[in-house]
Amino acid sequence: MWHALLAIAFHEYALAALAYLAYLLWQWKLFPLIGRSLVGSGLVLHAIALAAQGVPQGLAQGLSALSFLLLLLLLILDLRYRMPVIGAFLTPIAVAVLLPGLYLHGSGLTLPNSVRRPLLPLHISIALLGMAAFAVATGVAVMYLLLDRQMKGKHFGMLFSRLPSLGFLDELNRRLVVWGFIALSVTLITGAYFASGIHGAFWVWQSKEIATLVAWALFAGLLTARVFAGWQGRRVAMLTMAGFCLLLVSFFSHYPVPYDVGLR
Amino acid sequence: MMELLCLGLSHKTAPIGVRERLALPPEQQEQLLQQLCTGRAEAMLLSTCNRVEFYLAAADIQRARTAVVDEISARAGSAATDHLYEYHGDAALVHLFRVSSSLDSMVVGEAQILGQVKDAFEVAQRVGAAGGELTRVCSAAFAAAKRVRSETAIGRAPVSMASAAVELAEKVFGGLTGKSVLMVGAGEIAELTVKHLHSAGAKEIIIANRTLQRAEALATDLGAQAKPFEALPTLLVNADVVITSTAAPTPLFTTESVAPALKLRRFRPLFMLDIAVPRDIAPEVNQLGGVYAYDIDDIQKVVADNSATRGAEADKAEALIAEEIAKFVRTRSVRDGVPVLALLRARADQIARTELEKTLSHMGEGLSERQRRSIEAMAMAIINKLLHQPTAKLREASLDEGISRLAGAAAELFGLEETPSTSDPPATAQRGRPR
Repeated sequence: MWHALLAIAFHEYALAALAYLAYLLWQWKLFPLIGRSLVGSGLVLHAIALAAQGVPQGLAQGLSALSFLLLLLLLILDLRYRMPVIGAFLTPIAVAVLLPGLYLHGSGLTLPNSVRRPLLPLHISIALLGMAAFAVATGVAVMYLLLDRQMKGKHFGMLFSRLPSLGFLDELNRRLVVWGFIALSVTLITGAYFASGIHGAFWVWQSKEIATLVAWALFAGLLTARVFAGWQGRRVAMLTMAGFCLLLVSFFSHYPVPYDVGLR
Repeated sequence: MMELLCLGLSHKTAPIGVRERLALPPEQQEQLLQQLCTGRAEAMLLSTCNRVEFYLAAADIQRARTAVVDEISARAGSAATDHLYEYHGDAALVHLFRVSSSLDSMVVGEAQILGQVKDAFEVAQRVGAAGGELTRVCSAAFAAAKRVRSETAIGRAPVSMASAAVELAEKVFGGLTGKSVLMVGAGEIAELTVKHLHSAGAKEIIIANRTLQRAEALATDLGAQAKPFEALPTLLVNADVVITSTAAPTPLFTTESVAPALKLRRFRPLFMLDIAVPRDIAPEVNQLGGVYAYDIDDIQKVVADNSATRGAEADKAEALIAEEIAKFVRTRSVRDGVPVLALLRARADQIARTELEKTLSHMGEGLSERQRRSIEAMAMAIINKLLHQPTAKLREASLDEGISRLAGAAAELFGLEETPSTSDPPATAQRGRPR
């Protein structure tokens, strides 16, 4: 049952992505409305499917939950700021994230009983929420860099008239990174707690832990530089992208692509 | 016949340097107009920051043209004449209509240009350089411009160059609320831009000028503070938007002078707009992180981008102008036909009166007053009947083909004087002057 719901949601997202992209090209007021309603109804079905699946384990479920949070965040931002152009950049990514989640199956990670503690869903949800926030921040950073290039190069193309201002993008990036950083910090702390359950120690030098820690340090440095040295703009956008790449490493080492991967 | 000529250069043909050299102070403009309108020639000079155009109407248009070209090469060097364009006859008419309607502006649809053309016409009228021809042409152009403004949306979009600058600044900052503006040097566009920035929410405006008095005078106008030129490095640290328009021969702002300020500004973005030619801001400054430096040509690109999106409205405006031109040409044709008619009628009247006088004096006292009046009426009726068909045909022909062949033929057949010029007051022309 949940798989059918997920499939419907996926198709709604894909159509929404097309609507947002069409808006980027033609700027008809109808397109964002279509995009928002499709994403909204897709999220409802997606939520039911996720609830039916239980605690996300394995790559497919992880990706599914990530795309859910990504789109939820996107919808909130779009409704809050009325910036459907962000949708044009991020819905296609969310669709791409969900695609393997929908069609792959595999054992991936099986959780040892020692970590099946009540706080586990919370840890995973916050970790994924942080990922989603950083993913959106990265999308916003890409938009910033594209617009910055047009403004500096004085090629006032299509994106120049469509994208929100550099100031807005930078501010949005700041907020998302702050929230992402908080989520990431909580993830690290709760992660240490679960690690003690698995490994008997709070910290082990594994690729996942190292990548996450480096990303955390990078974002901590980034926020510090923002607050105390006034860093902003291009530099911050590029560092956001770098930090997100590190988190991707961490994500995929947490959910290793299973050797028995196959199409459902 | 009066011929119309437009001779000039604009932002489309000449770099700002050439345009600058042709920008004359008002007294010199008046003097020049008076020189040009010798004989029966008429002249008008339209001089704005984006264009310098002479509108001439003269019987001997070549002589007037040479005088203007000589004047231009004397002021801006003979190379300046390479940038000149000229429109003759109806093409000049179309050009004036398009210019007045702001279709030829750097920022299509901007509202200032109509006022500028009106001012130019008023000056020409005051010094006696604008006669009947230019008066007719200009009032038709003003009417067309008014129609374009009220019947199309061309003036509604963000239109002036100043608002293009505001649009760019907003693309950097998001909103301009609370931003501080530094204006270096004084100039019309700079002032206008600052006013636009202010109405878009910019809070603090600081004016730095080489002569502090000028800065102070401007500052009271704009509700700003005046600062000495020497304070520039400090002022740069606090400003968000910098507008420069000084006459300095070398850049005021270079990478070396701006880079230290950036750190002190804690990397807040800096928007710089250079209206001066030669430039006040070295092009390399734009390479610095967080600095967005634009010159007048860059602004024009934004403007070109804007006008592209307003293409449909511009098309509508062009159609309106074509309509107005057709209307003008039609009335002019009727007017041009009228002198021949008037002369024809006057000649016939004259013949009838002479013959009547002769006949009546022969017949002497034998006629009663009533008989006398009947004979007079008969003579007039013969003329009227005889002239009815030619009159109708001449009117018709002049409507269809402009200055008609028939009119010429009639003049020749009836041995009429050469048609008086249309530059004469219409009242005289219509009465005719049988000699």
